[in-house]
Amino acid sequence: MIDDRHPLVLAVEASGGARIAALNMSAEDAGLSVGELVADARAKVDFLQVLPADPAEDDAALRRLALWATRYTPTVSLWNDGNGADGFFLDITGASHLFGGEQKLLVDLAQRLDRFGLPARLAIAETPGAAWALARFHSSRLCLLPPGHEVQALKALPVTALRLSPETRTTLKRLGLKRIGDVADKPRAPFAARFETELLTRLDQMFGHVTEPMEFVTPPPIYHSIRYLMEPVMTQEAVVFIATRLMKDLVHPLVRDGVGARSLRLSLYRVDGHVTAVELSLTKPSRDPAHVAKLIDLRLERIDETVEAGFGFEALGLAATLVEPMEPRQTDLDPDSGQVRAEKISALIDSFRQRLGPHSTQQLAPRESYLPERAEAALPASPEETAWPPANGERLRPIFLLPRAEPAEVTFLVPEGPPQRFRWRGTMYHVTYAEGPERIAGEWWHDGIDQPTRDYYLVEDQSGHRFWLYRKGILPRETDKSQWFVHGLFA
Amino acid sequence: MLPHAPSREPSDQPRTRVRVLHELRRLLPRIESNAANGRVLPFGIPALDSFLPHGGLPFGALHEITSGHENDLPASLGFTTALLGRVPPGGPIIFVFSRKRTGLGRLYGHGLNALGLDPGRVLLVETQDDAQALWAIEEALRSGAPAAVVGMTATAIDLKSSQRLNLAAGDSGRLLLLVQPEQLAGLNVAMTRWRIGALTAAKDRFGLIARWRWQLSLERCRNGRTGEWQVEFDHAAHRFSLVSPLAHSAPARAPDTPHARAG
Repeated sequence: MIDDRHPLVLAVEASGGARIAALNMSAEDAGLSVGELVADARAKVDFLQVLPADPAEDDAALRRLALWATRYTPTVSLWNDGNGADGFFLDITGASHLFGGEQKLLVDLAQRLDRFGLPARLAIAETPGAAWALARFHSSRLCLLPPGHEVQALKALPVTALRLSPETRTTLKRLGLKRIGDVADKPRAPFAARFETELLTRLDQMFGHVTEPMEFVTPPPIYHSIRYLMEPVMTQEAVVFIATRLMKDLVHPLVRDGVGARSLRLSLYRVDGHVTAVELSLTKPSRDPAHVAKLIDLRLERIDETVEAGFGFEALGLAATLVEPMEPRQTDLDPDSGQVRAEKISALIDSFRQRLGPHSTQQLAPRESYLPERAEAALPASPEETAWPPANGERLRPIFLLPRAEPAEVTFLVPEGPPQRFRWRGTMYHVTYAEGPERIAGEWWHDGIDQPTRDYYLVEDQSGHRFWLYRKGILPRETDKSQWFVHGLFA
Repeated sequence: MLPHAPSREPSDQPRTRVRVLHELRRLLPRIESNAANGRVLPFGIPALDSFLPHGGLPFGALHEITSGHENDLPASLGFTTALLGRVPPGGPIIFVFSRKRTGLGRLYGHGLNALGLDPGRVLLVETQDDAQALWAIEEALRSGAPAAVVGMTATAIDLKSSQRLNLAAGDSGRLLLLVQPEQLAGLNVAMTRWRIGALTAAKDRFGLIARWRWQLSLERCRNGRTGEWQVEFDHAAHRFSLVSPLAHSAPARAPDTPHARAG
């Protein structure tokens, strides 16, 4: 049993043996430090608990926490190895007013993290670089400096707060430059000459002269809204109701920019920190809250595993991740007009996709090919009709095409001729009429030279059932076997 | 799925006089005349159309299509397709298939084209089971988007569902064709019920297929008459006609022309 009141360390294999990767407060108080050999640590401390470190699991846990943090702002960026890989950035520009200010946001975040059992160091600053430095090196655990005090505080921090490579740090140390102020207050040119661009870039990033590129844990949406709930919700009805409100929030900015949403992401934030995201894609851009609410309802219906509400969702967020230009809808009272009809078809296709699955609804389009199975393609449905040439009255084609041609045992008069009897799926058919052959050669440019030619026959039995069979390969040129297949059925 | 909130009992809502009158007003016109706006789809064969109310297949109603034998399924779908080719433009034709229904694959666009139905107009919807298929059919009808809806389920539709769909068809004014598995008893609520069987095709003087043929039995027809016909469909002109009595006998052919034509 792990006792947190006693020294606890996580160990990794390193040079010289197992070394400490992380330690708890008690171990720190006992004088242990990160990087020390575990063997040495055991000698120092009587009752030392040692567990193996699991960096993969740590990464996963951090990622989950970062996803949870999107409840504050969609722009959350995990720290990579260069930043220490033990925290993340939140871009709260424009988000803090939802909490009544930056101070309240900071306190809210700290309280929630504490409740998860994760004591953290937090800092709010003008730039990511500054925030990183203050979070790590400032004396207070929660750091929010009054305006104007930030630059002063940053200059007082050690140069290691600049996130520099070991070489640069060593050189700075040798030169006796200990504080950021020592470097920042001096002329730049000698540094540019002496060091790689790294030093100056980091300085510029910290003080906001240059922006730092960031990779976000979820693709940042263009439009989003979020609602924090006083009472957690658990039912599907409640989720759909709130989602409608969220979509209504988005209508104004969408209209203002003349666009509609093509893709949406609904994020459900559970009370215990778990986040579920539901993705929706639409056939045509939409701004209609009722339509989106309906699709969400259908989508939630379809999710096989129960979306575990646990103790409920404490916040819901809706983000438009893809938008497209959309004309303002002319009030067209004629229900048969093209635009109205196209909208109705889109809405129907959307409903089908959400309830029945993304591949459930399809359209057919012709393709240039002699091979019957390639002569058409099934595409995701859209309101526009596909273009088909008028039927060629001469070439008869079956109403059903089997997904794979099925072998049939055929009896014939002559091998090069049509079938007289055939057995297919266990039934024997007696052919009273046959038409053909229609010779369809393989497409060597597609499949290679050795594709056998097919001789297709339309055959009919005495009851009027009609089939499409082919013999694979020209006898005796391409093959010496007589192989027959049923490919389709005629009406 | 998330848990649902408990639903309200219908008895919670008091039925006011106004509401009752409104319902009556809504129902009465439909009881009086089935073709609410008089739209029908004629076959183009006077002898057949005369059996149907108002000279054609009424829109805004449920029609049932079945066959005598599993083998006749392509024939019944072929007949349905040829009929749908005659629906005037103004919306897609939506086919809803329950996946378990047919092991014959998907409808082939070139085959639909050959039967006179523009495949560009067609939307194919495949569902996992019959319950989803019924939902999809109703959804399609009520959306006001399609010109006609064809539904195919794996098992026979129960009475309640068929009433629902009939109501949806009536409310929306769309044509609904339900292709049902072979069975003896049909849907009570259907306005017409057709049983299709395969027939040997008509051959021309060269011995090649000239017109498709099907055995048609109109087993039920509200406000009309039942009957049996042998119909033909010209695959070039895309036109229905009746098999003429003369054509019943073996087609005139030179005695030494073989049935089969070698390549």
